[in-house]
Amino acid sequence: MNGADVAAIDRAPTAPSRRRALIVAIIAAVALALGIAAAFLHRGGVDAVRDGSAVLKLVLPDANGQQQALAQWRGKVLVVNFWATWCAPCREEMPEFVATQARDGAKGVQFVGIAVDDPDKVRAFAKELKLNYPALIGGFGAIELSKTLGNDLAALPFTIVLDRQGRVAHTQLGPLKQAKLDALLGRLL
Amino acid sequence: MRRLVPLFWLLLATAHAEGISSLAPKLLPPEQAFRLSARALDADTIEARFDVADGYYLYRDRMHFATEPVPAAKAVLPPGKPKHDAFFGDVETYRGEVVVRVPLTKTAAGQKITLHADSQGCADVGVCYPPNPQQLTLVVPAVGDKPGAFVEPGSKGWFK
Repeated sequence: MNGADVAAIDRAPTAPSRRRALIVAIIAAVALALGIAAAFLHRGGVDAVRDGSAVLKLVLPDANGQQQALAQWRGKVLVVNFWATWCAPCREEMPEFVATQARDGAKGVQFVGIAVDDPDKVRAFAKELKLNYPALIGGFGAIELSKTLGNDLAALPFTIVLDRQGRVAHTQLGPLKQAKLDALLGRLL
Repeated sequence: MRRLVPLFWLLLATAHAEGISSLAPKLLPPEQAFRLSARALDADTIEARFDVADGYYLYRDRMHFATEPVPAAKAVLPPGKPKHDAFFGDVETYRGEVVVRVPLTKTAAGQKITLHADSQGCADVGVCYPPNPQQLTLVVPAVGDKPGAFVEPGSKGWFK
């Protein structure tokens, strides 16, 4: 080993190698950012939201205890509404859903309610409202379920509209206004 | 790197706008919409507070408090604002600051008390949050001591 080599090694923090370190740092930072972005997107359920298969795979009991697979409505425009009796805005929008189900059911719309609630309360409210579409019981686990479908804040009402091909056409946190619903159904039916 | 930052945000924004049309960006997470804190006022009393953000409200009859290892007597809830609910009938709601007294018995100075606070509320824009069970730990002050400091639930611990 001669003096020149030692000097070369000692000269490590020279401009080019510092630049190389900087490039490595940038690559690492970009990789980290992309990793965070990917985790964020995944957590936000955007992938799941685009693809409605997670919704169509659900099997939940109805208010009478019968297991219902959402896949039975494949091919319909499916409006899946997460709701609860303890959620006043949820109850307030449901008469519109009942009316829309009656009006457009024959054209291929199917509403399905998933209640974050007890079966007794769901039965009582369904009776009072003369609910004309299935009220499935998700219990409080349904909140977690809705989170995997894009409901990050775990709030209600939360509604997912699937087109006839099972793709997510719309996701709504908060009331789904009749005008918006009509516009969506006009496009999807 | 600085040049890449806007790209990063653009990526996130596009991804978010794509799938979800919602109120989410405007809504607070429940622990910020309904901020809970509590302190031990004296050896026999816990004072719990909910700081309700503007545009949000809590239901009085959905608020429950319990303590351990020493059980609390019934919490003293202030009267709320009456609201008629089509399904549940007359209910009361809270906005702004809610101060609740939770009476304790048979505590010892320096004893750690865990307060369980359940609450449920909604936002005026038309969403409700599920019942939110929270807990925090307080230390009982000695007789004649000043009230303890306000404590918030542990989930915020990593900011401290």
